[in-house]
Amino acid sequence: MSQQFRRLQILLVDNDARTHTRVQQTLSDGFALRCVCSLDEARRELDTALPDVLICEVVLADPEASGLDLCRFVRASAAWRQLPILLLTTFSTLQDKVAGFEAGADDYLVKPFDARHLMARIRLLSRLKRLELDH
Amino acid sequence: MKKVLVIDDNPTIVELIKYAMSLRGTYEVSVAYDGIQGLERIYADLPDCVIIDVKMPRMDGYQLVRCLRGDARTHNLPLIILSALTRAEDEMTGMLSGVDAYLTKPFRPSALNEAIERVISLTPAERQSRMESLVQAQAERE
Repeated sequence: MSQQFRRLQILLVDNDARTHTRVQQTLSDGFALRCVCSLDEARRELDTALPDVLICEVVLADPEASGLDLCRFVRASAAWRQLPILLLTTFSTLQDKVAGFEAGADDYLVKPFDARHLMARIRLLSRLKRLELDH
Repeated sequence: MKKVLVIDDNPTIVELIKYAMSLRGTYEVSVAYDGIQGLERIYADLPDCVIIDVKMPRMDGYQLVRCLRGDARTHNLPLIILSALTRAEDEMTGMLSGVDAYLTKPFRPSALNEAIERVISLTPAERQSRMESLVQAQAERE
């Protein structure tokens, strides 16, 4: 299938089923969304098929792992380190944001999110990824 | 007076920017020397405009812009990147990150002051419209 018609592949890692539903409702036909709740599930999905953008909450289903661990895990992987990561989270303090970017996130969006804004960020991140790969 | 925050890790460049703005004489200028210090200043006292370098320690300018655009408190903050990175793709990365204007170094003082006035006068609707146009263009490319 040509790149021109390919739907953007999104992996959402969030422990909250309501966020799965909201993001599903937000994304239009131009996106293919997979949703999981935990770090291990995310790893399996990444192994199965690399998405165009990873969206991740800080709080996951894992008692001892967080979305920041997932960010670090992706950045340390030779195969996945170029993957754009958007943290979509209820954590909103300055310290939270600094921790998110230091863990390797490319973008940070605070819940509750505006649907149009989320779609814009996903498209921009996927475009930025291509710019970086091209140059 | 309009409050302008300059975020740049090069003290010489900071002085040049401050001098350029003094020619207009209507700005109250504060300074931060990296992205995280810049974020701290912004949340402590919201400025009217932020001038941001790209290559900085701890958090680069693109990350800072995305961070500010992802928060309702700073979603409409006027932002200018002033960078030594001059390639078209650098400017594209800045604009896609959500900046209102992308200027390159060396810069003309008048160009900087005009950009500040232009981005401060942007309405939220105009900023939203510009971003939607950008996103639409991206969607069409995909």
